[in-house]
Amino acid sequence: MAEIVFRQALRDSVDEVLEKMFFAETLGEASGPDKVGDTLTVELAFEGEPSGSMCLRLTGDAAREIAADFLGTEGAEISIGQISEVVRELANMICGSVLSRVESAATFHLGVPRIVACCEQCAESPWNTCFRAQLSHGRLTVNIAAGTTKCPQPVQSAY
Amino acid sequence: MAYRVLIVDDSPAMRTFVRRVIAMSGFEMSNYFEASNGGEALDLLRREWVDAILTDINMPEMDGQEFLRRLAEDEVLRSIPAIVISTDATMHRIAVMTSLGARGYVTKPFLPETLRTELERTWGVPCG
Repeated sequence: MAEIVFRQALRDSVDEVLEKMFFAETLGEASGPDKVGDTLTVELAFEGEPSGSMCLRLTGDAAREIAADFLGTEGAEISIGQISEVVRELANMICGSVLSRVESAATFHLGVPRIVACCEQCAESPWNTCFRAQLSHGRLTVNIAAGTTKCPQPVQSAY
Repeated sequence: MAYRVLIVDDSPAMRTFVRRVIAMSGFEMSNYFEASNGGEALDLLRREWVDAILTDINMPEMDGQEFLRRLAEDEVLRSIPAIVISTDATMHRIAVMTSLGARGYVTKPFLPETLRTELERTWGVPCG
């Protein structure tokens, strides 16, 4: 039951955040596992009822497009630092939106979003709620889990 | 009248976005000031007068809740209207920030029109 609630909240939050703040829309749910190659992954811990963590992964093209939409500039003019900053903000907004939907009467605290390198193992497990959205230029994947789940330790990230 | 606004957020990207939304709103702006936390904002407010403060809550060093508390304690600064912009849409947080003097509360994600409406309400004038 909790997973269904989280999943619906996750889907609604992704749609709403992209539409209102990034003037973008999802093109439906993406299927199949993520390719870990050119991706940007952000991890964000949260405390509340429940506590847990969220992992957001964007393909490189999608990250650049989203950053350009948010900052109101051309994708080619955006630095890697700006892209990382915008994707961290995107993770912050999606996580806050999900938690506000599932625990509107309680309180929660969001940690600082951090860029991590992600491996195949992380892309598959051990998250208990996952939503993959197809965007016009790539894919966005959000995993969320109650408990202390975290991405494996970062190795190195281009972002 | 041209307005002066202070945007307080630890994310430079979010500050750019808010500035962009205000610019699109139709209000005539003379100055935008920015700070990355409540402490920086208080330092700036000792030097510059603004017509409104737009502040996040979750920030390092001095968060938005402590920032509003300090504003409320200051006899001069407490008259500046503060609008909270936050991802936290829980009833508890909204009640706390309102009790500390927030004149408005905008939850992220928000439409540009929502922020414009809050500014219109705060300043008591329609934009444009």
